[in-house]
Amino acid sequence: MLIIILRRLGQSILVLFLVALISFLIFRFVGNPVDNLMGQEATLAQRAALEEALGLNDALYKQYFDFVWRAIHFDFGNSYRGALPVAELIASRLPATLELALTSALFAMVFGVITGIYTAIKRGGFIANLILSTSLIGVSLPTFLIGVLLIWLFAVELRWLPSFGRGEVVTLGWWTTGFLTVSGLKSLILPSITLGLYQLTLIMRLTRSEMLEVLRQDYVRFAKALGLSNRQVHFNHALPNTLVPVITIAGLQLGSIVAFAIITESVFQWPGVGLLFINAVYFVDIPVMSAYLLLVGVLFVFINLLVDLLYLAIDPRLRDSQLNGEG
Amino acid sequence: MSENLLEIKNIDVTFKTRHGILKAIDNLSLSVNKGEILGLVGESGAGKSMTGAAILGLIDPPGRLSSGQIWYKGQRIDQAPETIRGHEISMIFQDPLVSLNPLRRIGDQLVETILTHMPITKYEAIERARKGLEEVGIDPERINAYPHTFSGGMRQRVVIALALAPEPALIIADEPTTALDVSVQAQILDLLKRLCRERGTSIILVTHDMGVIAETTDRVGVLYAGRLAEIGDTRDILTNPKHPYTKGLVASTPRIDASSFDKTLYQISGSMPKLDAMPCGCAFHPRCEFVLDKCRSDIPSIIANRAACWLLDKEESLL
Repeated sequence: MLIIILRRLGQSILVLFLVALISFLIFRFVGNPVDNLMGQEATLAQRAALEEALGLNDALYKQYFDFVWRAIHFDFGNSYRGALPVAELIASRLPATLELALTSALFAMVFGVITGIYTAIKRGGFIANLILSTSLIGVSLPTFLIGVLLIWLFAVELRWLPSFGRGEVVTLGWWTTGFLTVSGLKSLILPSITLGLYQLTLIMRLTRSEMLEVLRQDYVRFAKALGLSNRQVHFNHALPNTLVPVITIAGLQLGSIVAFAIITESVFQWPGVGLLFINAVYFVDIPVMSAYLLLVGVLFVFINLLVDLLYLAIDPRLRDSQLNGEG
Repeated sequence: MSENLLEIKNIDVTFKTRHGILKAIDNLSLSVNKGEILGLVGESGAGKSMTGAAILGLIDPPGRLSSGQIWYKGQRIDQAPETIRGHEISMIFQDPLVSLNPLRRIGDQLVETILTHMPITKYEAIERARKGLEEVGIDPERINAYPHTFSGGMRQRVVIALALAPEPALIIADEPTTALDVSVQAQILDLLKRLCRERGTSIILVTHDMGVIAETTDRVGVLYAGRLAEIGDTRDILTNPKHPYTKGLVASTPRIDASSFDKTLYQISGSMPKLDAMPCGCAFHPRCEFVLDKCRSDIPSIIANRAACWLLDKEESLL
């Protein structure tokens, strides 16, 4: 088991170096950072001095390794705007995004799997069909529209839930959490639903089709023939086999939830890294952008690693083939 | 007969399709006696497996048991087949590679099945599971192994252990050896036969292999296009088949003896009709060498407790 983890870890590190290369190249080649930093009034001597200070005259590979070395130490340079260290900026925004992403992923996973199983077992039933047709809305409406509609209904008309921000947050070390206050939890509801609805329908449809497929398998018929109850057949035999592919997709979706958070955060003025990124784009704040890119890359790789390990935990066949070095 | 364990009375299994209603099983009646091995033989699509599925109520929609009755130990079971699954009648499927849940240890699957049917503790269930594995020739130490670590033949042994675990009075074995190597087939059949004889368990053995029928069964039913063509003691059927289709089947089975060594194997010309293009009268008449006028218009029922063929009717009236 340890060997597999180490092997996967090695692959992950390679991928991260590539991601770092891309975000480095963006930093280096999208516009001239010296122009961005000094403006038009600077003299040539000042420019040359800054170029030297930023290491822009070094060989490209040296600059790249400098970049990686500093990134490993969480040094992404200073934001062009406000001159704050990028790492600090992101660290202060990250809890908001992660809490939002986690809540909506949990929401999507739990309700997606439950409705998926239900619609598969009660195939053709009235409620199952109702859920299925309603889910089309989730797939076809764009995220921002769902957000705006939810705001209109629950914040403007009914006045039940806040329409923007995180509410009150509690500070725990460098982490700020909205989970511990009523207003924080209330503020989470609408953005989480907005962000998770698409994933929910996706997971539901996937679970349903996988479950229907599994229910046709011989081992399910055999389990039935052995007199096991429907409950045992559905939950002990069909469900685990259904979840293998669902977990992969759901895991990968967690990454895109973080990525999609940009839109939701804009709609709800959620103070997360997505909003930070949007603002950075407006002002061509390249250090922030490249750090964000790196962060999303790390997140994706990390989640993938986790999904792979979960896979191994669930499926004994994979475990053995990996140990025998076939994987 | 009082010995009847299972009695199938005039069942139809129909499928609703876009082209209308198709009959996969048409007016089938047969019975299984206590402790006997009944073979069901026929070509693919003749309704052998469907009969097994019908008994346990495992027909997948859109198919359904649309008429007839199934009686087991004097009780009608076709309306609530789930009540007899496992502890009264259980089933073995064709392909052992896909009969076991790949994500669960074989011991878990055995213990789950045992605990579902017996009021015993988990510890006792594990003991039973180990004993069950030993009986089918699998090292009980492998109780915690996953199905993929076993070969096909060994998996079918595990499947047999599972099917026998709830101590059923009847096992429906649906081509239990078709997916296995020839060398393993005989072992598995012997094992199944021996374990069932020891327990007095009846078997319905579904197969298309006349050799398997000859070696294993006490009685045999021949199915053709969803209808019972002939039924009787295995020895009678093999030595003196009455229905022209059975005659064809027996004649087309290869034998290894000197007299038949350089003869070409007999072949029944034509093929079984599709369900949506069933001929009028006897389903076999377009392929039959002895066809009578009556065969083209009227469906024969089982005559003289033996075969559904108008030829027998003629014989009887001549007597």
